[in-house]
Amino acid sequence: MATPSNAIFVPQTERGSYNPNRAAGALLKAQTLHLREALLKHLEELAAVIAIDPKSLNTEGEVSAYIHRATALLHTHSTKPPRK
Amino acid sequence: MSEGLDNLKHIVVLMMENRSFDHMLGGLSLVMENGKKKYPLINGLTGSESNPDTKGAIVKVQPNAKFQGQLDPDPDHHFPGVDLQIFGGAPQGPNRVANMQGFVKDYFTQTNDVNRSHNIMYYFTPDKLPVLSTLATKFALFNGWFSSIPGPTICNRAFAHYGTSFGQVGMDIFYILDNTIASVYERMLQAKHTAKIYYYDQQSSTMEIVNLLKNQPQLFATYDQFIADCASNQLPEYSFIEPCYNDHPGPGGGEILASDQHPDHNVQEGERFIANTYNAIRNNPALWNTTALLIVYDEHGGIYDHVVPPACTPDGYFAKATDTGTGAQFNFDRLGIRVPAILVSPYIPSGTVVPGPEDPANARIFEHASIPATVTNHFLNGDAKRTVREQQAGTFLDLLSGPMRPDSDIPFFNLGGK
Repeated sequence: MATPSNAIFVPQTERGSYNPNRAAGALLKAQTLHLREALLKHLEELAAVIAIDPKSLNTEGEVSAYIHRATALLHTHSTKPPRK
Repeated sequence: MSEGLDNLKHIVVLMMENRSFDHMLGGLSLVMENGKKKYPLINGLTGSESNPDTKGAIVKVQPNAKFQGQLDPDPDHHFPGVDLQIFGGAPQGPNRVANMQGFVKDYFTQTNDVNRSHNIMYYFTPDKLPVLSTLATKFALFNGWFSSIPGPTICNRAFAHYGTSFGQVGMDIFYILDNTIASVYERMLQAKHTAKIYYYDQQSSTMEIVNLLKNQPQLFATYDQFIADCASNQLPEYSFIEPCYNDHPGPGGGEILASDQHPDHNVQEGERFIANTYNAIRNNPALWNTTALLIVYDEHGGIYDHVVPPACTPDGYFAKATDTGTGAQFNFDRLGIRVPAILVSPYIPSGTVVPGPEDPANARIFEHASIPATVTNHFLNGDAKRTVREQQAGTFLDLLSGPMRPDSDIPFFNLGGK
């Protein structure tokens, strides 16, 4: 596919660029606040499901609704980190 | 329809961070060939553009931009700062004139150093940015793509997803004030189409956060998955890609560099990220022939651009004076500062330049609401409730107007270099 005439060389990034100790800027700090807000949604949902007494569930419909909510929460939280 | 539109199955948007048009691509206008401008249609720099500094000295644009270390502290790009950049410090009022004369003055408020405040006028020469410069000259470059708001990241990115920021002009959490306006992803899924936001990894995550992440976690995947989806022909119809936003350890002790190009992150790493994304599409002929890739920056990051942002159709929201920080209400009736934007497809004639404000008779103005507008028009035939702003936004798929270009005419990026 690539030929000498259409191949564009892209240099490696300069050595020494990596700096995880760089002070986090306003954007990254805002990102953490936004993520915390998103987590509150999970917390509310988790609290709502925990508040249900499983012994109070009698029908298959009631049980399946509970299992759905619980599994959805557990599935989200047990998701493995992405491969690199 | 054109052959390109007939074949189009995928739209991919890669949104980078915080660089202005002139800073990244303005130098293309200064490239000469046989005594003439090589790219005469590009509305970049003449080399004589200037700003006054806080001592009153005239500071011209200079080709001295470096990949890293020059824009620290981060240039101001919040609403009051951008207002100063655009209007040069003129007092609020209906008769003030935008002059793009306040960039150096505003950067001085960050640096407290007159000499360093001049850095805001620096631009890259095209040889420094082989990826962006190649794509800009081999496909379609927009002379008139503007950020949606003269302000920072979060509210500008909201326009790419919702066609509005619901009145937000800052970095605060924004809430959807009209539940009938769905994100472009939700519109797609509701109509049984496919869409995804690919963020880089979990350490970087997404900037499209509260409303989408907490309600629609299934919309998200990582960049690794994007690469895999490209290779396996599993790419959704609409994909939005986020670069890496921070430096962090990789697995096994490796180093993951921020690739978003947000100052002061290394611009070269962003170049490589753009090239990698392009190559992932380019390397799969079935995908390459059916995909349009838009590379665009969310906002200018406080860095100089010479084009005055045009007026736009208000979107029905307003930001109170207490929220703008300028002492004046903002009615969303003016766009933000110009950013680089490039549309890539084998059906776009090489060297296409989409005219902007420099050509009033033929000007086409774009902003981030153009993204959901284009996706919704193409995949959903426009069938969604949208803000006035999005309804008025320009769409860009008509640029896929040419015949399929031969493979030998299409660049390929070699990332294996030292």
